[in-house]
Amino acid sequence: MGRGQRYGIALSAFVAFAVGVVTALSLLLGDNPALFGEQPGSAQLAGLLALPADVLLRLATIVVALSIVIGIANLLTVHVGRLARGKAYSAVMLASFGFTVFWYVARQGDTSLLEAVQVPIESALAALLCLSLLHGGSRVLGKRADIWGLLFVAVVVLVLLGSLPLAELAPVQAWRDWLMRVPVGAGARALLLGIALGTVVTGVRALLGQDRSFRG
Amino acid sequence: MDQTTLQVYAVLFVFATALLAYTARYFQRRGRRRPQRRLAGMGRIAEWTSRSIEANRPLHLALGGAAVGGDKTAIALAEAEFFYHVIEGAQASDVAPIISTAAGSSVPLGQDTLRRALPEGGDSLSRVHWYPGELAYAAAVTATMKEDEPAAHILAGSFGAELALMIDSADRRGQGSLALSDRLDGQAVAYAMADEVLLGEELFAAAGYASEDGRAQADAIVLDVWRALVIMGVGIALLLEVAKRMPWLNWALVLSVSAILLVFGLLIYRRR
Repeated sequence: MGRGQRYGIALSAFVAFAVGVVTALSLLLGDNPALFGEQPGSAQLAGLLALPADVLLRLATIVVALSIVIGIANLLTVHVGRLARGKAYSAVMLASFGFTVFWYVARQGDTSLLEAVQVPIESALAALLCLSLLHGGSRVLGKRADIWGLLFVAVVVLVLLGSLPLAELAPVQAWRDWLMRVPVGAGARALLLGIALGTVVTGVRALLGQDRSFRG
Repeated sequence: MDQTTLQVYAVLFVFATALLAYTARYFQRRGRRRPQRRLAGMGRIAEWTSRSIEANRPLHLALGGAAVGGDKTAIALAEAEFFYHVIEGAQASDVAPIISTAAGSSVPLGQDTLRRALPEGGDSLSRVHWYPGELAYAAAVTATMKEDEPAAHILAGSFGAELALMIDSADRRGQGSLALSDRLDGQAVAYAMADEVLLGEELFAAAGYASEDGRAQADAIVLDVWRALVIMGVGIALLLEVAKRMPWLNWALVLSVSAILLVFGLLIYRRR
């Protein structure tokens, strides 16, 4: 790695750190006028402190919007390349893309084509998804032939039975409600806690300019 | 708790994480590497990478719906870091891995990951596929499974129940799959159907397992430390709650039992 590249990495890491700290401080201080007490002008001071975060977040929104344009360009590049290799799906994709854009422009913002094609196809896929889930569920014990696989299947059967609107299954429904409220709720919270911790660690890595995108 | 107090705690938490991260990295650099706990499923990645190289078939790395710029930016960054190490391991293959995403703003992230990980950047433009919409994404990925015949699929990111369509299709074609999701429905599908499964939060530690990179391993250690502290906190809160309802419980007893459990836990951990 050359000296210029090293300086470049250091500079990008510094810029990331500075922008991150300024945004975090601006969000923390600017949103909370109570921090400055009941003195006159505290609201203006809080507004002034909120300005850098506001500007930087607007910039981020513009950059994200630009990245979607890059995404569209990438989509077209990929499928033109695949079409050149004789992939028929890409021809359908490119034709659909062109026709949808033409329809939208020619009919002044009419999205009926999207609604008439995309929505029914997605509905059909959602129906297929039920079959896939059923198929996958039926093979759980084949893949995980242990106590946890057995427990998984038992819980699925119990929840399905408990969802049936039959008076004879009232005790099963009570079990199902308890399962959804206590173990499922606890599991969901545990998953969210773990993801929140991971998000903080990743955020700190980006804030300190240690993320790979700043390291060259 | 008022907003100011909450903000102060949040800042302290971030500072503590930064301090922990630097401490862990210091010890990693000094060569005092802590053996990592085993993550079931990570071992298969090396096998799939070898298969990809030998059979000249790409690996498929799915970012899912995590988008840069939204509330899942950290997930997208963690995915990119994990995939960087996976791609680096598959450098010898003549066919570059395919990265797919359901979020347009993650396309540059995928391209950047490929460019950095592959020698001379590889074909980073045409190997990133964007399929907008969750169900449309799942359908398009199943088409990729037929057209490109990937050796295996690493579906690590933000997925819902549509993950079932992708894993089912991969399974029918004899292509291996490792899956995890930050969403509960996606995680349940991953557990039931994928060949290998990780928990959603393990995405943030996965880079440390896929490589010998000291920084990534240090981050995994920081996560483990925080997780242990959260478990201890929850345990103590539970004990205190129970103590309120049982008059014969007192602080001395709770502390004694906690100390004994802690010692037992440490002994079991060291023996393992």
